[in-house]
Amino acid sequence: MSFPTNNKLTAAEIKRYALCYGLALASVAAAFVLARMFIYFHLPQPFTSFAMSAIAITFWYGGAAPGILAAVLSILIRTYLFQENISLLGRLGYSVAFIVFAFLMIGVRRRRSDLEVKVAGRTAELTRANEELSLEIAERKRAEDKVRLSEAYLAEAQKLTHTGSWVWEVGGKRALHLSEEWYRVYGFDPSDGLEAWRKRLERIHPNDRARRQETIDQAINNKSEYDVEYRIVLPDGAIKHVHSVGHPVLDGSGNLMQFVGSSTDITGRRLAEEALRQAQTDLAHISRVTTMGELTASLAHEVNQPIAAAMTDANTCLRWLNRDQPDVAEAREAASRVVKDATRAAEIISRTRLLFKKGTPQSELINMNDIIREMLVLMIGDMSRLSISVRIELADDLPEITGDRVQLQQVFMNLMANSIDAMKDADGTRELAINSQRGQNGQVMVTISDTGVGLPAQQADQIFNAFFTTKPNGTGMGLRISRSIIESHGGRLWASDHLPRGASFHLTLPIEAAPHE
Amino acid sequence: MVTEAKIVAIVDDDELMRGALQGLLKAVGMQAQTFASAEEFLKSGKHRQTACLIADIRMPGMSGLELQAKLNAERCCIPTIFITAHGDAKMRMQALRAGAAEFLTKPFDDEVLLENVRAAMES
Repeated sequence: MSFPTNNKLTAAEIKRYALCYGLALASVAAAFVLARMFIYFHLPQPFTSFAMSAIAITFWYGGAAPGILAAVLSILIRTYLFQENISLLGRLGYSVAFIVFAFLMIGVRRRRSDLEVKVAGRTAELTRANEELSLEIAERKRAEDKVRLSEAYLAEAQKLTHTGSWVWEVGGKRALHLSEEWYRVYGFDPSDGLEAWRKRLERIHPNDRARRQETIDQAINNKSEYDVEYRIVLPDGAIKHVHSVGHPVLDGSGNLMQFVGSSTDITGRRLAEEALRQAQTDLAHISRVTTMGELTASLAHEVNQPIAAAMTDANTCLRWLNRDQPDVAEAREAASRVVKDATRAAEIISRTRLLFKKGTPQSELINMNDIIREMLVLMIGDMSRLSISVRIELADDLPEITGDRVQLQQVFMNLMANSIDAMKDADGTRELAINSQRGQNGQVMVTISDTGVGLPAQQADQIFNAFFTTKPNGTGMGLRISRSIIESHGGRLWASDHLPRGASFHLTLPIEAAPHE
Repeated sequence: MVTEAKIVAIVDDDELMRGALQGLLKAVGMQAQTFASAEEFLKSGKHRQTACLIADIRMPGMSGLELQAKLNAERCCIPTIFITAHGDAKMRMQALRAGAAEFLTKPFDDEVLLENVRAAMES
């Protein structure tokens, strides 16, 4: 490895040297020619001034060494080509003057170099500063783009979720920020500005105003979060459901300053829920009617039973009365049995009618034991036909729950019908066991166990899915509907294996349950 | 065995029906004993001295037809009158072939029932 050495001149360097030294020759030659021309035209003798100029020009543009060459040339020309007749001292004087001038020019030249270095340094600094500035500008622009993009994403997300965000000042009761989507949720135009925030109050549904205000006032008092749903009425009369969530912002000393939060248009969700509830009610009704269809035969049996007894008792009564000496005491006894039989028939019919009734959920106080007994009356015919025995253990101290009687009856009928179906083809003991008890945390717990075919292996929880069925004619909706009914009462419904054979269905219902609105 | 008093036995899981049948027999001067299930009847041992059996077909546990088969197997041939809410032709044939005296569907004619009971008691 070797670096190019200094004694090897490049073509560019040679050219530069030639130019610099050439400048010395040319400028001095030009001074000489000019001086000669001046003499020719009998002008004052000016070589010295021209030579000085030539030396100065050479120093300035050509550098120190060519400058010195110009000075030497000037001395020689001055000495030998002009006024050869002046004294030696005079010649020396001129020579010294040129040399001193040359030295002066060396100084000037050095200053110029220093200045150039300084200027170059400053220029470099400026260039660097300029570059940094451009970088910073580019960086800022990138950041701004990023912010703009992120804002665009946020706006898009708000648009998609119908969520407007806002900040409002508690003291001044005014909005500090409202996102574009907020205006859309409330049906305002973004150009309405922050003033729209005040106008929103007029759009809140009159029936929801007080409740909403109360929630917010409470959050202000407690410096806490708030979460409130209400309706708004748009100028065209359309009603929207809005869900607002606010988060308190406190200053350093804990004073409530602002609420930051969002308002979401949940109209779509509300309508879907309403439709779902409607579908659920319809399905429940259909399922009830379908099940009732299957039960008609056993119901006929149930009603037939007391009617047959009534007819026999009535005939017996007549027999006692038709004797030669009517036995009124016996006749009365037979007649009172007729009353009992008829009451039983009427009871069965009125319970059946309840099941067929379709309506919105009704809330009432219910003793689950009553529901179990009522459903047993209806199912007992089916069970006796299939030689299924029933074991019932009902807690005497069972607390009452709040709920919809018809819906809960349906759940029990469904679960019992399932158990009966499961035991239809099972060998061995066929037993349906129903147990009610007071559960933990003020709950009512009911378990229905059978000795049937049991839960499908590995699919234990799938049985609650819609359209899941193992029966050839099943709709797969019974357990699905039962679970949604129990859940709408705030309870739980689940299944487990029953040992040694069969399945158990457990349900819990809270005492304070409020069925869905 | 023959010396013991003959009785009428009623086997039905429905309490109202048991009461009605017992009351009817009493009105015509006959004593009847009631049992809520076939098992209870067999356990009582009274089937040995029963002259006439009135039984329901559908009952939890042992059904009326199973009771009949069991009694036949023990060579204890009691004239039996079946009363059922759901009497189809097939069930009726099965019961009569197995030796049932009568097969009545609820609600039934009390005269027909009483005729059959009297016939059974006299045989």
